[in-house]
Amino acid sequence: MLSSKEYEEIFPALKRKINGHKLIYLDNAATTLRPKEVMDAVNEYSLNHHANVHRSTHTLAAEATKYYEDARSKVANFINSETEEVIFTKGATESLNLVAYSIANSNILRSDDEILISTIEHHANFVPWQQIAKIFNLKIKYYPAKSGIFDLSDFLKHITNKTRLVSITALSNVTGQLIPVNTLIKQIRNIRQDVILVVDGAQAVPHLPIDVKKMDCDFIAFSGHKMLGPTGIGVLYGKKRYLNEMTPFLFGGEMIDKVSTDGTTFNVLPYKFEAGTPNVDGAVGLAKAIEILERIGMDNIQEHEKQLTSYALKKLKELDFLEIFGPQDETQQSIISFNMKGVHPHDVAHLLNDLTGIAIRSGHHCAQPLMKEFGTSATCRISFYVYNEEEDVDKLCEGLNKVWEWLK
Amino acid sequence: MVEIGLEELYSDIILDYAKNERYKKEIQDAKKAEGKNLSCGDEITLYLKVKDNIVKEITFTGHGCIISQASASMMCEYLEGKTVDEANKILQEIINMSQGKEFDKELVDGIEIFSDISKFPMRTKCFTLAWHTLDDALNGKNM
Ligand SMILES: Cc1ncc(COP(=O)(O)O)c(C=O)c1O
Repeated sequence: MLSSKEYEEIFPALKRKINGHKLIYLDNAATTLRPKEVMDAVNEYSLNHHANVHRSTHTLAAEATKYYEDARSKVANFINSETEEVIFTKGATESLNLVAYSIANSNILRSDDEILISTIEHHANFVPWQQIAKIFNLKIKYYPAKSGIFDLSDFLKHITNKTRLVSITALSNVTGQLIPVNTLIKQIRNIRQDVILVVDGAQAVPHLPIDVKKMDCDFIAFSGHKMLGPTGIGVLYGKKRYLNEMTPFLFGGEMIDKVSTDGTTFNVLPYKFEAGTPNVDGAVGLAKAIEILERIGMDNIQEHEKQLTSYALKKLKELDFLEIFGPQDETQQSIISFNMKGVHPHDVAHLLNDLTGIAIRSGHHCAQPLMKEFGTSATCRISFYVYNEEEDVDKLCEGLNKVWEWLK
Repeated sequence: MVEIGLEELYSDIILDYAKNERYKKEIQDAKKAEGKNLSCGDEITLYLKVKDNIVKEITFTGHGCIISQASASMMCEYLEGKTVDEANKILQEIINMSQGKEFDKELVDGIEIFSDISKFPMRTKCFTLAWHTLDDALNGKNM
């Protein structure tokens, strides 16, 4: 890993002062800071090469198309998929909505098939399934994670001979619990071959090496902005076998083959799922972000965050005015949720910001079913990325002590 | 962002109001209105009893941060005994204050301790939650 001075050069925001304090950014699960290099790459593309992709035959159009398709190859290489299995979306939310809607709309599921999801999911991997179940009259079941902690063997008990689709997060955006998705998928496949496995990778893909072939998931969704890229770009990886079978999610330009008053046929993968002018700037930025992550090394990132998380857990446990959620062991990575006894998380987050320049998140984190498991309506959440270090944790603990003195 | 006002925002008066449980209860046969800040998960239910055009009793239940709780408690204390017309006038002045506009200090006596709230855009909705719910209870409006 680089030194904090080096990171300050890469991420200009790290040089900012908040109320006279050096910014400590611990809200990476919401979105990560931007490297200057990513924005330079987007600017360079925008100013010199921008045109619409796949349509025109002039030089700029050819360049823009190459930038866009190179970005797709970069993503495919990053997750070890085929290039045409990478669909660009506007984020993990759109990716998950796309899978849910298209699968439900494609007669892939029969009416007595069951969809299984868990109560630790982000709303983006909860509400779409619940809604399509309602619209298409499908059955949905919820695995209730006791105390908000996912338990693999308990979860597997919910797989029945009716289960036909499972959608699960690979890393909880609230507790940071790392779900053993590789094992989970293997075990589900042992029970039933034909279960469609969807992974919400919004929090996992930025923080650990992901190999979709090894994982053997059917779909994985993630967002560019949680991994140093721009907002408005995301990815849906899907196995060709399903993508070919699925009806498109959006209809319009570029996704068609032949259109006439008699009907329409659709383009090949991945274009079938990319209606309209895509976010080329976003794709270019995401490709550059991946380049930076690969330079640092995903293994290194995971190792760094594991150490940092276990250090933070140890330090936070020493503060007896905190209640920490989640497993609180080595299965936690990058993210920790807690509450200060008797104090609402908004007050903690606001005071930390104004008194110490530390940015944390407070709220329900788009995971209300999980908040219910915890018996609370909101938590404080810290989340790390490459540029965070143990000193940030020490400052956080000092800050929390200060806030506690104010409010206890 | 803004340092001025933080001491006032978390002053002893506000902390005391936030902890004060006097108005934190349900009342029977009262008009009920529910308010939510969807992105925070904060919720309050307001109970309002009006008789002869006078606010006879007003209480709330629910949960939220110090700012939202103190604001609700202060509101209940302040409005008890006021006429509905006065309550509506106060409500308007409070909304003006929360938006950083001119407001009549005399009408919002005591509550102007929150006069800096507009400088904390992320907290304004915590402060106004109770007041928007009041608007619903008084006028059937959910802003
Ligand atoms: C686990 C998880 N899934 C999905 C999402 C949705 O991502 P986006 O808002 O970028 O579409 C998030 C973002 O908070 C997340 O943490």
